[in-house]
Amino acid sequence: MSSTDQAKGSRAFYSNVRSSLQETEKVNRRDMLGLFMPMIRDAAVNEFGGFEELRRHVKNIKQHSLDNLYHYLSQFVEEAKSNGNHVHFAQDSSEMNSIVLDICQQHDARRVIKGKSMVTEETHLLPHLQSAGLEVVETDLGEYIIQQAGESPSHIVGPALHKSVDEIRELFMRKHQLGERELEGPAEMVAEARTVLREHFLKADVGIIGSNALIAESGYSMLVTNEGNGDLCANLPKVLIICTTMDRVVPRANDAMALLRLLVRSATGQPVTCYTSFYSGPRQGEDTDGPIETHIVLLDNKRSDILDSDYREMLQCIRCAACLNHCPIYIGAGGHAYGSVYMGPMGSVLTPLLTSLEESNALPNACTACGRCAEVCPASIPLPDLLRDLRHDETRAKLSPTRWRVGMKIHAWLLSHPWLYHKLTALGIPALGWLGRKKGSFKSLVLANGWTDERDFPAPQGRTFMQQYQSQRDDNEDAG
Amino acid sequence: MITKTQDSAQSDLLGKLRRVGGNASAEQIGAELNRLGQTPVPLLPAQELCEAFLINVLKNQGTVACAPDRSEAVKCVAKYLHERFHTRKIVAGNDPRLAAMPWRDGGVLPRFGAAEQEFSSPPTPASLSYARLGVAETGSIVTFTGKSNPAANNLLVEDHLVLLDVADLVANLDDAWQRINAAMEEEGRPRGINFISGPSSTGDIDAQLVMGAHGPRAWHVILMGDVPDEALDNARSFIEQRLNQL
Repeated sequence: MSSTDQAKGSRAFYSNVRSSLQETEKVNRRDMLGLFMPMIRDAAVNEFGGFEELRRHVKNIKQHSLDNLYHYLSQFVEEAKSNGNHVHFAQDSSEMNSIVLDICQQHDARRVIKGKSMVTEETHLLPHLQSAGLEVVETDLGEYIIQQAGESPSHIVGPALHKSVDEIRELFMRKHQLGERELEGPAEMVAEARTVLREHFLKADVGIIGSNALIAESGYSMLVTNEGNGDLCANLPKVLIICTTMDRVVPRANDAMALLRLLVRSATGQPVTCYTSFYSGPRQGEDTDGPIETHIVLLDNKRSDILDSDYREMLQCIRCAACLNHCPIYIGAGGHAYGSVYMGPMGSVLTPLLTSLEESNALPNACTACGRCAEVCPASIPLPDLLRDLRHDETRAKLSPTRWRVGMKIHAWLLSHPWLYHKLTALGIPALGWLGRKKGSFKSLVLANGWTDERDFPAPQGRTFMQQYQSQRDDNEDAG
Repeated sequence: MITKTQDSAQSDLLGKLRRVGGNASAEQIGAELNRLGQTPVPLLPAQELCEAFLINVLKNQGTVACAPDRSEAVKCVAKYLHERFHTRKIVAGNDPRLAAMPWRDGGVLPRFGAAEQEFSSPPTPASLSYARLGVAETGSIVTFTGKSNPAANNLLVEDHLVLLDVADLVANLDDAWQRINAAMEEEGRPRGINFISGPSSTGDIDAQLVMGAHGPRAWHVILMGDVPDEALDNARSFIEQRLNQL
């Protein structure tokens, strides 16, 4: 089952997971990703020395920027305008899409090239422009592959990592004029995409990119890529549109550098990407190239609400995907199962906040509370805490199944009466042990069929933990 | 139309941000920011700056050469062009420092301007940039956009060659920005500031690293000036040892 067949929306999470776990080859690819990405990230972090200190520093800078966002965003807008940019504000996705389409239409644009931008994925900009008759081409290789395949990204940094070499070869065979060429391995496929995309770069009327940081003191926008496709989008067409959000604002260039050091190591294990560029605005004075007109579109889409909520820390996210690469649920389920633009732990927090908990309440439950995401998050976002808080909101809003909520209520009541809990377990556990004494396990068990549907439940052996703990403590006291 | 709507959209959002927490004065905010201190910087792979820079360029999949003066640098360019393309031709930006290079010493034939941008023509094999800065921390070179650095020369050629003066080499990204800010004070803000740290690359197919995604397939840095004799050899053996460890 391909991602396009999977039901849209995160409500379908559970059924999507069941399907994605059936795809053995993809499961193996994800397992490799879950081993390989943490390894290269760890190597880069260790080589840095004082990474924790850097992490603390960037957290302080991001919190300071968010605490004073009015000041820094105003400063950025003022500087960006004085650099010659047109600055636009979009309250929601449809506003951003309309603003971008208006700009394209004002320039009679027909061809648009796009760099990688999660914000434009969030607003579904591409289909909006296409439906107005524009030819829009994704130029990041991963994004290009999934655009050709008619899919959505499965990972926020490596959008096509779910596809095998064979699948991509077959895709290019179908979509490109290859003649006798066979495209042996990745190098030949990259060369093929390079040739096809070069023509798009050279003929485009408008370039659209995202931003990794907006520098308040100077109005520059930072762009981080390895392929150089974003820079081609930013330099060749006559019009440049930067689609971004206000939480990208940092005070100074040095703060963007601190963020860069964290971002790249956390995302790809490199100390820096091949191209790190800063763009201020349109061409000027003696410039012989560059866009004649530049626009910066700032999307809110509930971010100002998040800033004013208990989930403010989520705005510290720098979109590195370290939490995805370290999450057992993401690695198990895959990005498409989430049914949303953002996936993994950061997506499970962000999606309900950007849409609604009613639509996305499955996602905060996609968590084993193992805590690895919080350990590696370069922006020090307490992701497991935020996921727990969202589950709490879910329970309070009565969005989870009644049976589950009643069960949790009984469980909570029992746990708040420890003497009764100990008494019941001291009676129940030996009884269960006695019932299962012959086979040593249960094939099915009342109230635990969620467990026994998948595997046997082992019959308890001996006494409960608390009984053993109590008797050891008594022994120790006697010995003392 | 857009302008009026945009003005109200801007004031709506900024008004909301102000209500959420926009009470501190610019002075208070500045003082608080200063209290957050300096950014921690990473360890360099060698104490000597040239050596550290060369190591990091090699780690970034670049190639390197060292030249004691400009005449030798031209010879390095000639050697590279011959080995890679059997040519003497190269495209260079309209940079006075490039114009003043002793091209005849190496028999190099530069064309000043931008690389080929017509899809129907074959791509330009090689271009040459004169870097403003080099950064040891990341093995990066820095250029400003403008007629001295047409974007096509950085991005649309097969191989990108870069000259860097040892005097323009700084230890880390923060030092680089100190120099960039000083240059901007004098010259104004350039349209673009480019940190280039290797040939264009991608890992988007099967997580395998491939050079030449959209831009240059190869990146060659020539470090000019008083480079310690052993710096290049040390850098190469550092990389060799690292490869042996893998």
